[in-house]
Amino acid sequence: MNSYKMAYSSPEDMVFGHSRKPLSYGYGIRVGAGRVVPESNYAPRAGTEKTPERLRKEYVDYITKDILTRCINLGFPDVQLETEWISQMGFEPRNSVPIVTDQKEMANRYHDEYGLNIAVRHTIPDLRECEKGLRLGMDTKRLYPEHLIEGAEIACSNGADVLSLESLGGKEVTDYAITQGDITAYLFGAGILGSADMEYLWKELVQICRKNHTVPGGDSACASSNTAMFLAGGFLDNDVQRTFTAICRCISASRTMVAFECGATGPGKDCAYESIIVKAVNGLPISQEGKTCQCAHADLQGNLMAQCCDLWSNESVEYHPEFGGSSVQCWTGMLGYECSLMNTATAAGQAKVLRDLYMISDRRRSPEAYLLAFDNAWRIGKAMASYGSDRYMRAKEAALEGSRILLEGHGNKDIDLTRKQLETLYKMQRDLESLPDDGQDFTEMCLRKYGSEIPTFNPKNYDI
Amino acid sequence: MLDYRNVDYQMFIRRYDIELENLELPENIIIKMLPSDPLLKDVARSITNIRFKDVTPSVMRAMQMGIPPARIINEGLTRGMDIVSTLYSKHIYHLPEVMMASKIMEIGISLAEKKIPGGRTNKGTVVMHAAEGDPHDIGKNIAGVMLRSAGYKVVDLGKDVAVKDVVRTVMNLRPLMVSGTALMTTTMPAFPRAAEELSRLGLEIPYMVAGGAVNRDFAESFPTGIYSERAPNTPPIVDKLHDGASWEEIRRDWDSITGGE
Repeated sequence: MNSYKMAYSSPEDMVFGHSRKPLSYGYGIRVGAGRVVPESNYAPRAGTEKTPERLRKEYVDYITKDILTRCINLGFPDVQLETEWISQMGFEPRNSVPIVTDQKEMANRYHDEYGLNIAVRHTIPDLRECEKGLRLGMDTKRLYPEHLIEGAEIACSNGADVLSLESLGGKEVTDYAITQGDITAYLFGAGILGSADMEYLWKELVQICRKNHTVPGGDSACASSNTAMFLAGGFLDNDVQRTFTAICRCISASRTMVAFECGATGPGKDCAYESIIVKAVNGLPISQEGKTCQCAHADLQGNLMAQCCDLWSNESVEYHPEFGGSSVQCWTGMLGYECSLMNTATAAGQAKVLRDLYMISDRRRSPEAYLLAFDNAWRIGKAMASYGSDRYMRAKEAALEGSRILLEGHGNKDIDLTRKQLETLYKMQRDLESLPDDGQDFTEMCLRKYGSEIPTFNPKNYDI
Repeated sequence: MLDYRNVDYQMFIRRYDIELENLELPENIIIKMLPSDPLLKDVARSITNIRFKDVTPSVMRAMQMGIPPARIINEGLTRGMDIVSTLYSKHIYHLPEVMMASKIMEIGISLAEKKIPGGRTNKGTVVMHAAEGDPHDIGKNIAGVMLRSAGYKVVDLGKDVAVKDVVRTVMNLRPLMVSGTALMTTTMPAFPRAAEELSRLGLEIPYMVAGGAVNRDFAESFPTGIYSERAPNTPPIVDKLHDGASWEEIRRDWDSITGGE
C-alpha cells in the first residue's frame, strides 16, 4: 500500500484563493491562483420547464443576462456560472443544446464587451435509479445511464467550461444508514459502493471532457452526506445526531476523492462540504458554500466554509423577483462582495487572519463544523492519505480520526456535545473499531448483513 | 492560526441543542406506559428497548399462553410503538430508534397476524410517491414506515413516478390519501396536475405534498392539497382523515394537528 503525499505539509499553509494546482479556463477565469471567484447558481421557475424554448429563455435571456449585468454594475472582475440541469434536461439531453450554446455565446459577448472574466460550469443530472440499474445497458426502459453520458457529451461539446455531477451511487444504502444510525452501512454505501460508482462514471466523464477540452470538475457527496446534514437540521431538529453526520462527512471525503483519482482536476463542487479534507490531500481548487447559500442550505458552518475556498457559491436560488432586482442578481451581489472581502484580505496581506475569523466563528457551532475547521480537516486528510488508494481503509481511518478529534475536542472543552451526540459518537467508534482491515472482507460482511435488508440494493450495480 | 482559546464563544454562538436537550431517562416514561399484563409487557418492551432478538420469543410466549393475537398486536406491539412515539415527541428518542422500533413491530405483527383468521385489518390505504424526475425519497420512506407503524397500509409507488401512474393507482385503490414528495420546484407541478386529473375523474382524495421545494402555500394552492412539513407530521394528519376530517378541515386545523400551536 502506497500512502499519498499531502499537498499541504501543514494546515497553516491552506487559505482561500490559493490551491497547489491552479486552473485557467473559460474567458479569463483563474481559480486557486490568488483570487476567490464567485460562482452563481440558479434554478428556473416552476412552469418554465414545460418547453425547451421557454426553459432556454429562462436560463439565458433572464438568468444569465441578469447575473452578468449585475457583475458589471457592481464592479466584480470574475464570475463563474453554474447551470445545474433540471431533470427535464436529463430526460432529453439534446433539448439542452440551445441553453449550453446560447449561455456560452452571451458569456463571450460580455467578456469581449466589458472584460468580465467568465466561465460556465454545467452540472448534469443523475437520474439513474438503483432499482432499474445504474450501469449502461441495465435500464432498458428509461435509459437513464445512457442519458447521463449523453448529457455529458452534449454539455462538453457545446461549450461547457467545467463539467460536474452529483452522482447517486450507494444512495440506497446511505439512506438506510442515515435513518437507522448505522455507520457501518454508511461506510459500505459511501466508502465502497459510492466509490465504485464514481470510478465507473468518472473514467468515462474524464474522457469526454478531454475530448472536448472541458475541465473535469468533480463530484459531491450531496446525495449522502448532505442528506444526513439536512436530516440533522438545525438546533430544533434532532432526527439524526450531528456527531453521526460529522463522521459521515469524513467517510464521504474518500468517495469524493475518487473523481480526482480518475483524472478530474477540480474545481470541486460547492455542495461537497467534504472538499476541504480532499484539498488538504491533493491540493486541487474547490468551490464551497456556506452563509451565502442560505437560499438553499441552512447549514451550521456558514462562515467557516469560506476558510479555504477557491470559488464561493450560493448553491442554488430559484429565479424570482426581489426588491433589489431578480434573486440571481441579489445573490450574485452577496457572493461578489464576499469574494471582494476575501480578495481584499489577500491584497492587504491579511488573508490568514480572515480565514481564522471565518473558522473560529463557527468552530464550536456543531460537531460537523468542528471537523471541517481547516486544522481538523487537514488531520482527517492526513489519516486518509496514509492509506493511499485503499478506498475502504482510508474511509474507515478518516471516520476513526474524526471520532478521535471530536472526543479530544470534547475532552478539552473545545467542542460541546449533547449527551446523545456523545453516546452516538462512542457507539460509532466501537462499531468502526470492530470492522475488518480488509475491504474485501468488509464487503462480504456487508453483503451478508445488508443484502436482504435493503430491498433496492443490487450488487450488480457496482459490479460486486 | 489566531489564538482562539480565550475567545468568548457565547458572544456569537448559542447552542440551543445543548440547552434544550431532554435529559430525562427513557425508562422513567416507559415504565409508566407499559401494559400491566407481564406477557404483554415483555412484548412491548422488545419495542421500547429496541431489542430485535426479544420480539419473536415474547410474541410466541404470549400466544402459547393463550393471549389472542389481536390483543398481542393492540395491547403489546402497538402499545410499545406508542411509547416510542411519546419518547420521540419528547426528543428523548430520535429517528433511528423510531425506524428500528417500527421494524421490530413489523416482525411481531407478521408473527401474530398469521394466527388471525382472515388476517389483520388495517386502518386504511395511503398511496405514496416521489415526483417524476426526483430521485430523493428518503422523507417519503421515513413517513411510510411511520404510517405502517400507525396501522395503515402503504402502497409505495417509489420515486420518479409519472402523473398517469399516480392517477391510475389512486383510481384503482381509492385510498384514504395520496402523498407526493419533491425536492425541486420544477418537479412539484406534477402534484396539482395529478390532483386536477383525479378531480376530473370525480375523485376528491386528499393530496398531501412534502419535500424540500414544497411549502404550505404551494400545498394549499390547489384543491385537495395538504402540507406535511416533516415525516412525523404525516400519521396525525392521516389519523384525522381516518376519523372523517375533510382536506379543508385538515388545512384549517393544520397547526394544532401537527403540534405547531
